[in-house]
Amino acid sequence: MARSDGTEVTVRNLRVYISGRPILKGINLRATPGSILAIMGPSGSGKSTLIRVINRLIDLNPSATVEGEVYIGGLNVLSADPYDVRRLTAMVFQEPNPFPHLSIFDNVAIGPKLHGLAKSRADLEEIVRWALEKSQLWEEVKDRLADYPHQLSGGQRQRLSLARALALKPKVLLLDEPTANIDPVSTRKIEESLREIARDLMTTVIIVTHTPQQAARIADYIAVLYNGELVEYGPAREVILYPKNEFTKKILEGVI
Amino acid sequence: MAEPRHDKLFYYTLLPFASTSLAIVLLLASILAVNSLPAIERYGLSLLTRNVWSPVELDPEASDYGLLAPLLGTLVTATIATMASIPIAASLVYVSEEVLPARMLRVRSAISILVDVMAGMPTIVYGLWGALVLAPLLLNYVYQPLNKYFGFIPLFACSPYTGLNILTASLLLSIMITPFVFAVVRESYTQIPLSYREASLSLGTTKYEHFRIMLGIIKPSLIAGALLGFGRAASETVAVTLVVGNAFNLPYCLLSPGYTVSALIANQFNNAPLYPYMESVLLFSGAILLLLGLVSNLAGLIMLSRVKARV
Repeated sequence: MARSDGTEVTVRNLRVYISGRPILKGINLRATPGSILAIMGPSGSGKSTLIRVINRLIDLNPSATVEGEVYIGGLNVLSADPYDVRRLTAMVFQEPNPFPHLSIFDNVAIGPKLHGLAKSRADLEEIVRWALEKSQLWEEVKDRLADYPHQLSGGQRQRLSLARALALKPKVLLLDEPTANIDPVSTRKIEESLREIARDLMTTVIIVTHTPQQAARIADYIAVLYNGELVEYGPAREVILYPKNEFTKKILEGVI
Repeated sequence: MAEPRHDKLFYYTLLPFASTSLAIVLLLASILAVNSLPAIERYGLSLLTRNVWSPVELDPEASDYGLLAPLLGTLVTATIATMASIPIAASLVYVSEEVLPARMLRVRSAISILVDVMAGMPTIVYGLWGALVLAPLLLNYVYQPLNKYFGFIPLFACSPYTGLNILTASLLLSIMITPFVFAVVRESYTQIPLSYREASLSLGTTKYEHFRIMLGIIKPSLIAGALLGFGRAASETVAVTLVVGNAFNLPYCLLSPGYTVSALIANQFNNAPLYPYMESVLLFSGAILLLLGLVSNLAGLIMLSRVKARV
């Protein structure tokens, strides 16, 4: 099953401007294979922009200008073909967005099909099942794989989006508040799965989260953004127990 | 909750205007139906199943009509035109929305404006261009080789003596309806939420793979565009009259001259009062055309509402 062999994400002096306004102001950080980096910060601090630079989805915004260096392993993200960058990454978004015209099975299978990951139908079925199990959705949909996403609840649709990303077995998994619409029990199970995936597949996981509790539960490292600046970055335990920055303290206390 | 009095006044003032278009369609349909009755009573269903056009002046008993050739001609030309216009329209959407970078907004707008201009051009201009430029070109460079090398296929088996035939009418129609199909597909395409675009691109799709996924999302609007285009192609008159050849041949071979219902009406209606039943037969064919247009347009609009509900 293993495909990811681990690739480090390095961000150096990253600056992003949208319509000339600075959104990220000289960010430096590293995310290592097999570990989970949680990015925290209040709304508008640049968290989503940061992960959209890593997979070059920022290119969809014609008014965005990006400066600095971002590497996935040896690949220079900012000068590479976006196609090559995105073949190394997968992303789960804040809002569930499974493709409405594809069945549950096909939504998960589309990535492996595009990447040529399955040699046979049996391979494909195995990947789909694995991804749905890791997303805590298999038991609920195993008898209705031909159904369409509109027949699922909001939380199920989000887990389907997660399965679609996991099925790629990416080297870098980017998650933008993936559990915002999911119930607490499923959230905990998904967090366990993410830990397993990071550990077993040596995937570099970068997760944007609003909740300090979630960061504490799953992250190995935490980066705190505030107003486009990286105000704190370090091992999760250190950041949570001994925050150095005032904003970090407020974020951890849930004040901002 | 009671409606405010001035809103009621506004509502009742506008109601007659709003109902006018529906009333016109109903009036049109009823006039066509009533005036078709003499032909239906005399010829019955054979009007639809026979290919005869034998008007005899002042002798009702000797006159004989069957609309099979123009009816089939209409269906064949409109179907080919629709099938040809879909890939052209989809390619235009691909170029304008995916190939050209987002920064080239002016070029994208230029494509849209150009296609809008195409939609607004008088159909007689298309007809003249079709008859004087397109037909001779197709005859020399397409139809003759097609007949020579693919003549074993019945659709191309007849010798192309003239460029004015069913295939020319179909291709000209496809050019004419492409702007409408393009407009429908492009509107739906640009309305696909960013979240689906991001999801598709985040999978590492090539532009082509991404476009295929996006087209899948708006598939009902492709079908809607095709149905609306079909309705338009079936009812197009002036341009088709100039290039279809106007002959009562059944469209077994696309390289032979043919007829469409609208071309038949345009050509024959001036003479119709001179011949018994001809006027009624033409109005009956008009009613069939109206029905065809209503069905294809309604189906198209239903498909469009489906795509709006989906994305």
